[in-house]
Order: sequence, then structure tokens, then C-alpha cells
Amino acid sequence: MNSIWDNCLAKLENEISSSDFSTWIRPLQAVVDDKHIKLLAPNRFVLDWVKEHYLTKIEMAIRQFASNEQTLKLEIGSRRSVPVVLDKIQNLAQTLQNKPNFLNKAFTFENFVEGKSNQLAKAAAIQVTENIGKSYNPLLIYGSSGLGKTHMMHAMGNAILQKNPSATIIYLNSEKFVQDMVRALQQNSFSNFKDYYRDVDVLLIDDIQFFAGKERSQEEFFHTFNTLLEKKHQIVLTSDKYPKEISGIEDRLKSRFGWGLPVSIEPPDMETRAAILMKKASVANIKLPQEVAFLIAKKIPSNVRELEGALRRVIANAQFTGREITVEFTKEALHDLLSLQDKLVNITNIQKTVAEYFKIRVADLSSKSREQVITRPRQIAMCLARELTSLSLMEIGSAFGGRDHTTIINACKRISELKNSNIKIAEDYSNLLRTLTH
Amino acid sequence: MAEQIPLDFEFRANKTFADFFPAANQEIVSHLQRCVAGTGEQQIFLWGYHGQGKSHLLQACCHEMQKRGLRSFYYDLLPKNLTDTDIFTGLDDCDLVCLDNIEHIAGKADWELAFFNFFNRQRDLDRKLILSAASLPAHINLCLPDLKTRINWGLTLKLQPFSDPEQIAALIFKADKMGFDLSTSAGHFLLTHYHRDLESLWALLDTLDRASLIAKRKLTLPFLKQILNNQTELD
Repeated sequence: MNSIWDNCLAKLENEISSSDFSTWIRPLQAVVDDKHIKLLAPNRFVLDWVKEHYLTKIEMAIRQFASNEQTLKLEIGSRRSVPVVLDKIQNLAQTLQNKPNFLNKAFTFENFVEGKSNQLAKAAAIQVTENIGKSYNPLLIYGSSGLGKTHMMHAMGNAILQKNPSATIIYLNSEKFVQDMVRALQQNSFSNFKDYYRDVDVLLIDDIQFFAGKERSQEEFFHTFNTLLEKKHQIVLTSDKYPKEISGIEDRLKSRFGWGLPVSIEPPDMETRAAILMKKASVANIKLPQEVAFLIAKKIPSNVRELEGALRRVIANAQFTGREITVEFTKEALHDLLSLQDKLVNITNIQKTVAEYFKIRVADLSSKSREQVITRPRQIAMCLARELTSLSLMEIGSAFGGRDHTTIINACKRISELKNSNIKIAEDYSNLLRTLTH
Repeated sequence: MAEQIPLDFEFRANKTFADFFPAANQEIVSHLQRCVAGTGEQQIFLWGYHGQGKSHLLQACCHEMQKRGLRSFYYDLLPKNLTDTDIFTGLDDCDLVCLDNIEHIAGKADWELAFFNFFNRQRDLDRKLILSAASLPAHINLCLPDLKTRINWGLTLKLQPFSDPEQIAALIFKADKMGFDLSTSAGHFLLTHYHRDLESLWALLDTLDRASLIAKRKLTLPFLKQILNNQTELD
């Protein structure tokens, strides 16, 4: 039956631009029976757009391939069976037994690499899993993004479940709490919402800084928090800052966040970063030489997600080329990432980057050509050279085919005017500036 | 002799993997194909300058998902399309979401937050996400640090720019897909006289194809020069 829609798609694909087709038509799912062709859009936005812009085309296609009895219906929906979410809750008792915990089983204490930066947090987390609700309640783990707070939270949930499979645990991001509350209010199911979150053994809430400025959600979370604490059920929170430094959160809530144990996770030192890389590689069944791990760890000091991204690049490249992972290979595979970090801003580099960006030759920048496809990039390159290097106007002029200093001044003036009047040029300039300076 | 009027049919560059000329980007194509087949990465970040084929590849991924009977969604985050963050609602159900030109949400707090929440849901549900931008994720000036680290998480790949011979080969390849022959010398002429980004060159091929159909002539170098001269005069 779906072949009707497949035929329609093949027809529409030739009538609508590829980009629009991928945005508005491809996501539609068809449910076809003898009487109807129901097209399901993923959301209201897509539905409205399709109705407004493509309904006639779709109807014409359907008339070509469907029978006269079949009528077209457009609505929001999915063919996929809907996972258990709060707004679908009808029978509370049944739902409480089957509460989805949203824990990611891949995050465990075993694959959490311990170093000086997270030792204390890990010890506290393990202690909490051994004495739920009794040792530190709430446990608040804080630190910058990408340092392993979420990993630790999932690891706690998984460890508790391992010891007590019947424990009711929920992991969620604070934003989901807010969304569920809004939905419950809209659907007059607020008491279900309250019971849902107040009747768990362990509540793990990630990124509480996103409660900032949401007063009604803070109010409800405050009551949930108190109820769980009174029952001696465990609460674990994470935040990107020490609780008192989070702005937009009520003081009474901030003070409660600090009742138990606030513990920080700091950025990992180089040895820990290398150990993290080795661990992640071994999970992926990849043998990562120690010197390679140290090379990546040295070059990427910022956070664990970025380290993981770099490791993915190395592994993917090795798998594609079939080459062994060595220091040389890694330097090559991460060339784009690493060279940008080491890069010096000089006039040669500016000319090369501008030429590559505008797809012209470096030599064109110094040529006598007065075609606009060459003059505009040349002016931008001159302007960038003036902004990013300490060279004199004469030196810059000399690097662009021996032009004199007034040409450079005029180029800078022209680009400055164009940046204000032409969005495309402003965007090109800012892209180039970003590429050169980061 | 009367000119043959071509059908009112604009060449719809089918944005599929088969229509993509990879040159030095074969590795990228391979990773994207593995991703959509469910045997590769869950999250890919594709970056490269404008006109190198990022949008083509993202749409090719959606095309592959459709062939597999799976749901996908493509959205171009150009400033003109940043109208309603509700676009992220309900996408949890899509097996693959491709977001093009992601750098344009930088600095727009509501879009950054909406994308952050969407990203988390997508990841929790183990769905695939392919992003594209003109620069490395680390160079996108996002205000939300949590989002910045997240877009660095997946596999980041740079589209390598074409060399001149590769660009000429790409033009010949594309012309062939459109059903006409383009000689190397004609390709070289186009490359040295016009915009070199692929998008502009594809548009030029459309013009040439149309003119050659009307005149019922092969695209020889003199004829090509004549068409383009006529066009310049018209412009």
C-alpha cells in the first residue's frame, strides 16, 4: 500500500528542490488503507509549512497514483510506537512500576578514569551508591562542561540498580523536568506529575543551572526536593558552577543544594587525559600506543568530549586507510585540529586562507587583475593583514604585488563600508577572522 | 530552422551519494554511508567552506535513509530560516537529523538552548545526528559552553577543497550526470573565467545545458564561449 506514497515521492522529488524535499517532504510518513492516505508530519511547524506550500502538489501526485476512494489526511504523528513518556500516562500504578530510568548502561564506574581532578567526586559518588539517602544527600557534583559529571551520574544509577534491581531511579536533565511540568499543567495531570517524581528511590538531575529564571519549575522542584529528602530518598544533582554562584535560582533552593555534599570535578591533568584516551580506545578494541595518547592529551587540554572527538577522528581514519596508529599517523589524521591550534597568523597564512576560502589562486591576490572576483578577496586579505599583523602598510602593500600604502588604506576603508552594507561580506570577513585567529 | 524549446524542467541535482564527486573526500563519504547504515558513528560534524558539497552530502544521507524506509529530517539553519525553535519539537522520532550551517545559531540564546535540549534527547535515544558548518566546531562562537563541548564530541571531518584537475573532473562528471559531454578544455575555460565554487559552477552547467538543447549543438569550446558571451551581454 505504501508504494502509492513511494510513487508520489518519486514524482515530487522531481518537482521540488532537493533541499526543500529533504526538509518538508521526506520526513512525512504515510499510513495507507483503502479509504485514506494519512501523511504524518513530525511536528506542527512541518505540518503547517507543508499545508501552506505543498498541499496542491501532493494532492496532484496522490490523484495520479491512488484510487478515487482514497482521501488525503495530514496530521502530526509517527508510525513508530511511542516510548513511555509522561504525557501518555493513564494508569499511574502501572506506570510507576515501569518507570523508564533513562540510564545509559555504557557509563559505569569501571570505565570512569580516576585522576586527581575527580578523585573526591568519585569517592563520594561510590559512597552514595552504597548508602542510598544516608551518606550525602543531596550529592551535588559541579564543574565545567565536558568533564564527566553526566558519566558519573549514570554510573551511580547503574551501580545502584546492580545492587538493587527493584530500585526506582530516574535520570533526567533539568530541562526535561521543566517540559514535563509544562505538559502536565497543559493536560491537567499535575498530580500525576508530582507523584511521578516524588515517588522514586533515587532522582538524578543533570545541569540544574538550566532551572535559572524558571520560577514555577523551581517552586515545584523545591517541593519535590523536600519530599524526597524527608523520605530519605537519594537526590544527586550536577551543575556547571558551585551552587551559590548560579544566578537566577532562588536562594532557598541554592541553600538546599548545599545541604549535603557539593563536590567539584576539575579539568583532568595530562596523565589523566592520556589514561582516558587509552581507556576509551580499549573499549573500542583499539590498541592506542601510549605516546599517541600523550600526543593527543598534550594538544587537547580542554575537556573530555573534545579528547573523545579527536580519538574518534584517529580511529576512523585508521579504519578507513588500514594504517597503524603511530605518532606520525596521528599528527596527519589530526592535522586540521592540531595545526589550527599551533598556527601563527602571518601574511602568507592570511593570503593562503583567503585564497582557499574564495577559491582563487594565492598568486591572484598579488596580480594586476581588476575583476571583482579577485579584487574583493584581495581587499579582504589586505584588511585582515592590517588587523592581524603588525606589518606596516608599505610591507603589506609589498606582499600584494608591490602596491603602495594608499591602496591598503583604501582597501580597508572599502571593506569597512561593505561590512556594514553587505551581510555576505560581513559574514565572509568574520568567517576568515575566526579561521585565522582560533 | 526553429529553435527547439526545452521542456520546462530545471535540472534537479539529485543530491545522492551517486551524484557526488568525492575526489579527496572519499573517506567522508564512507563515514557518512556507514553512519546512515547504522554501522558507523552516531554523530558527525562536517565542515568546509561554502560550495564544497556539505549540503549535498547531508541531503544524500537523508536520501539513503528514505531508501531504507527510515525517517530523516534536513534543516538549513541559515539566518532566514531561524524563525521558530519549535522546528526541533517532535524530531526525537527521526532516525537521522541533518542540520546544515549550524554556525548561524551561535549567539542566539533561544536557538542554542533549543538545539542543546534537542541534542540531549537525540543522544539519549541513540539517534543519528549530522551537522555541518563553515568552520571547526571549536571555532563556532556558541554562548552555551555545554553545547560547545557536545558538538565537539562526535567525529569531525573536513571537506577537502578540490584541486584544479579535480574540479575539472567534477564538472565533467556532473555534465555526464546531466546527459551531456563537457571537454577538459571547456572545463578548464569555465574554471579560469568564472566563480570557482561548486554551486556557481553547477548553475553554469544548467545554463549551458539549456543553451545547447535550444541550439541543438554540442558544447564545443567556441560554442561555450559564445553562450557565455551572450549571457554576459544579457546580464
